[in-house]
Amino acid sequence: MTETAPIPTKTQRASTLVLDGVEVPFQDGESLYQVAQRHRSEVPTLCYDPRLDAFGACRLCVVEVEGFRTPVASCTTRAAAGMKVRTRTDALEQHRKTLLELVASESRDSGDAHGKGTPGHVDPLRGYASQELATLTARYAVDGTRFAGAHSGRSHREDDNPFLLRDYDLCISCYRCVRVCAEREGDHAISVANRGFHTQITTEFGGKLLDSSCTFCGQCVQTCPTGALADRKAMRNAGQPGELTKTRTVCPYCGVGCSVDIVTRGERIVAVQPAMDGPANEGALCVKGQFAWDHVQHPERLKTPLVRDAAGRLVPASWDEALGRAAAGFAKALREHGDESIYAIASGRAPHESAYTIQKLIRAAAGTNFVDNCSRA
Amino acid sequence: MSTPVTDDDILARWRHEPAPLLPVLHAFHDRDGFLSEEAIRCVAKGLRIPLAELYGTVTFYHFFQRFPPGKAAPRVCDGPICALHGCADVLAALRKDGATPMPCAGRCDEPVPVLVGDRQRVADRDGRLEDRATPLPPPRPDGGAECVFARVREPGRATLAGYRAGGGYAGLQRAVRELTPAQVLDLIDASGLAGRGGAGFPTGRKWRAVAEAAGGPKTIVCNADEGEPGCFKDRVLLDHDPHAILEGMAIAARATGATRGFVYLRYEYPHTQGILERAIAEAEAAGLLGESILGTGFSFRVYVRRGAGAYICGEETSLLNSLEGKHPFPRNRPPFPVTHGFEDQPTAVNNVETLCSAGPILARGAEWYRGLGMGNHAGTKVISLSGDVRRPGNYEVPLGLPLATLLHGWAGGPLPGRKVQAVTMAGLSGGFLAGADLDVTLDEPSLRAKGSFLGAGGIMVFDDTRDMVEVAAQAMHFFAHESCGKCFPCRIGTQRLTERLERRAGPGDPATWRREVEDIGRTMKATSACGLGMAAPLVTESLLRYFGPQVEAHLRDRPSGGEAHPA
Repeated sequence: MTETAPIPTKTQRASTLVLDGVEVPFQDGESLYQVAQRHRSEVPTLCYDPRLDAFGACRLCVVEVEGFRTPVASCTTRAAAGMKVRTRTDALEQHRKTLLELVASESRDSGDAHGKGTPGHVDPLRGYASQELATLTARYAVDGTRFAGAHSGRSHREDDNPFLLRDYDLCISCYRCVRVCAEREGDHAISVANRGFHTQITTEFGGKLLDSSCTFCGQCVQTCPTGALADRKAMRNAGQPGELTKTRTVCPYCGVGCSVDIVTRGERIVAVQPAMDGPANEGALCVKGQFAWDHVQHPERLKTPLVRDAAGRLVPASWDEALGRAAAGFAKALREHGDESIYAIASGRAPHESAYTIQKLIRAAAGTNFVDNCSRA
Repeated sequence: MSTPVTDDDILARWRHEPAPLLPVLHAFHDRDGFLSEEAIRCVAKGLRIPLAELYGTVTFYHFFQRFPPGKAAPRVCDGPICALHGCADVLAALRKDGATPMPCAGRCDEPVPVLVGDRQRVADRDGRLEDRATPLPPPRPDGGAECVFARVREPGRATLAGYRAGGGYAGLQRAVRELTPAQVLDLIDASGLAGRGGAGFPTGRKWRAVAEAAGGPKTIVCNADEGEPGCFKDRVLLDHDPHAILEGMAIAARATGATRGFVYLRYEYPHTQGILERAIAEAEAAGLLGESILGTGFSFRVYVRRGAGAYICGEETSLLNSLEGKHPFPRNRPPFPVTHGFEDQPTAVNNVETLCSAGPILARGAEWYRGLGMGNHAGTKVISLSGDVRRPGNYEVPLGLPLATLLHGWAGGPLPGRKVQAVTMAGLSGGFLAGADLDVTLDEPSLRAKGSFLGAGGIMVFDDTRDMVEVAAQAMHFFAHESCGKCFPCRIGTQRLTERLERRAGPGDPATWRREVEDIGRTMKATSACGLGMAAPLVTESLLRYFGPQVEAHLRDRPSGGEAHPA
């Protein structure tokens, strides 16, 4: 994952260290990984998510520090004044390639069409971070033929929840899902069972997510670097032709103002992904913002206004007719019962523009503040 | 005794004690024979631990059983030495009782140990079980001076009266009544005492760091999670000299300002818990532990906590996580336990043998202890010697003693007509030494020059009838079984190396095989997060160094299936 740590300002205490031969400043408390990232050293990692405590599992981010006997994980090592750090030596790059070959050897083929032939290839609709492994295996020219042996994960195909695909055949045990669930969400719905090569991501007693304390926020999906956890709704659109486009917007479901990217292919919405740089959410979303977008393209969604006929049945009508009928109704209510007889509630599923318009209408036309939104937080 | 123990009884008993999770889980495990879903739910609620997290943690330990027959079913040691002594026969004989294997249970001087409920018994090949006391160390053959074993063979040594009759607690008295904490630290520094659990860190420096660290309460942890295969030295001290451990802990507390201590005892020594608890009660009653020790303002309480089967919990930061009731992954260091240990407060984690040395050093002085070593090496080290020698057992050797003297002089050499083919070092973690490299002295500089290390002091001997590739395969299987699963190089690397040694997967061509094994080993040594992953490849490295032709023959004779086996 990329990260933009703030550049030290003059008022903060800045020390320097030597990074790949260049003296660079850092802030107290920064890790070597953060310093390296800021200076575009492209240190690889699979277990790092800038929102989580550094964990030090994948060891891809190891760097050489003068005076240290062995390489250190840059994510868990704090920068110290005067350190001489090398992020890319032949020995480090060889360790990284070996580590990636080991990782590539433990998971099965995803079966996805996207990027076939690259170890770790998965459809990008699986989740926000899902391309991380495939990107690194391509960068290090790992062909997936070395270190053959047993596979480590076991997919939970029996978990029939509608949101999260638990495709642990692709799991590499970085535990980002477990950590985001505990550290960011406070849900503690999943954990690590067993030891060593037999570790598995598990709920309590190995049951289904629906029976656990999972809130289906989807954060585990979006931090998974291999697509082992995938967005089931998005995956209905996997493997189809056409470019994916991301459009930044704000989730309409409540007042928090989480930034989201609407992922579209052509005219269709195919997924929603959290915006990691969203100022209100920093990548967090809840089940509604993450998964509740089906209604937009639902086949039973109204496509034309309906009005009631003389018998009280709803029948299709033109916009002019429908708006005329509605305006007449409002006018009658105002006339007969006064300004305070109208109260409008906008739907959380409506776009922000509609919510804005409905409050404008009530305030301007009725002259009251009798307006609300169904999911006001 | 007939009143049933309720869930509430268990929680009420432990809830307000420090480090309650392990004893609570053991109480349910003991009462029901296994940890039921209801019990885990009850513990999660009672101790306010998220249910999924507790479930995951329970599954980490291999002795916590989730289903009947649970802990009643025998566990048979299949460690490297027991493998030479027919553990497979024992396992077969006890299969009818639901027996399953367990990793080295620390009785390599008297195989084959079998854990049945809360008793460690000894089996013959037919599965006949016997209760036997932990063997005492053989007398030092050259009559030289010992430190921790000097009085361990005296009858009644495990009782307070017996311990005091031999001059016990004189060191503590001196530390409390005659010396300031700073003087105790100076004395330990001057003695040259270093960690005897494997890492060899100077004890005085560790204690000083805790003494100088801000915050508290401070804690002394006695690491009695002796899990290294081929190591059974702490067991003899725990069983026969418990007061020496308590005295050492109290001296450490006096030096550092610690107010509480834990003995983290491995599951495989069930009888030892009672021995320790009796010793603590005796010492507290005599004013040697607890409130106001020896009538001074110095107070220090010691608690026994029993592990549940996980080699990694011998790693100090895993041990601390385990004590705290967390998932026992190792922590990232720095910060180190001396500043951020138990509950993030300053903590000294010391091995049993290290702590046992403190009392005699305080009583007899730093010079005396230094002088026990040979040449420039300070002090002694207990070596657990096992395998193909005539007199296996624990030997307290002066550091710097030639390995050949121990093997051939003290332990009687190989069995008649056999030759020593190889020995392991540091239990399994130091890999093998063989050939000309057997000409070493027992101290870290000498052994590190050979690419190995002394570690906790387990030495297993394999004579010329043994298949070293098979020994290496069993060793790597152990490391894979015990890898915690946190860091990639160890989690995947130990698995791949095991598969290659066992010929379950991997290339058949010797050159390709060697390249894969060497590449995995090199990256494991350089990038693993803790000592387990860094040490495991010493097994393959030394195997290839000394036994290249045997490896090639092994590859030739046992073609790999060549396909991946499911996990």
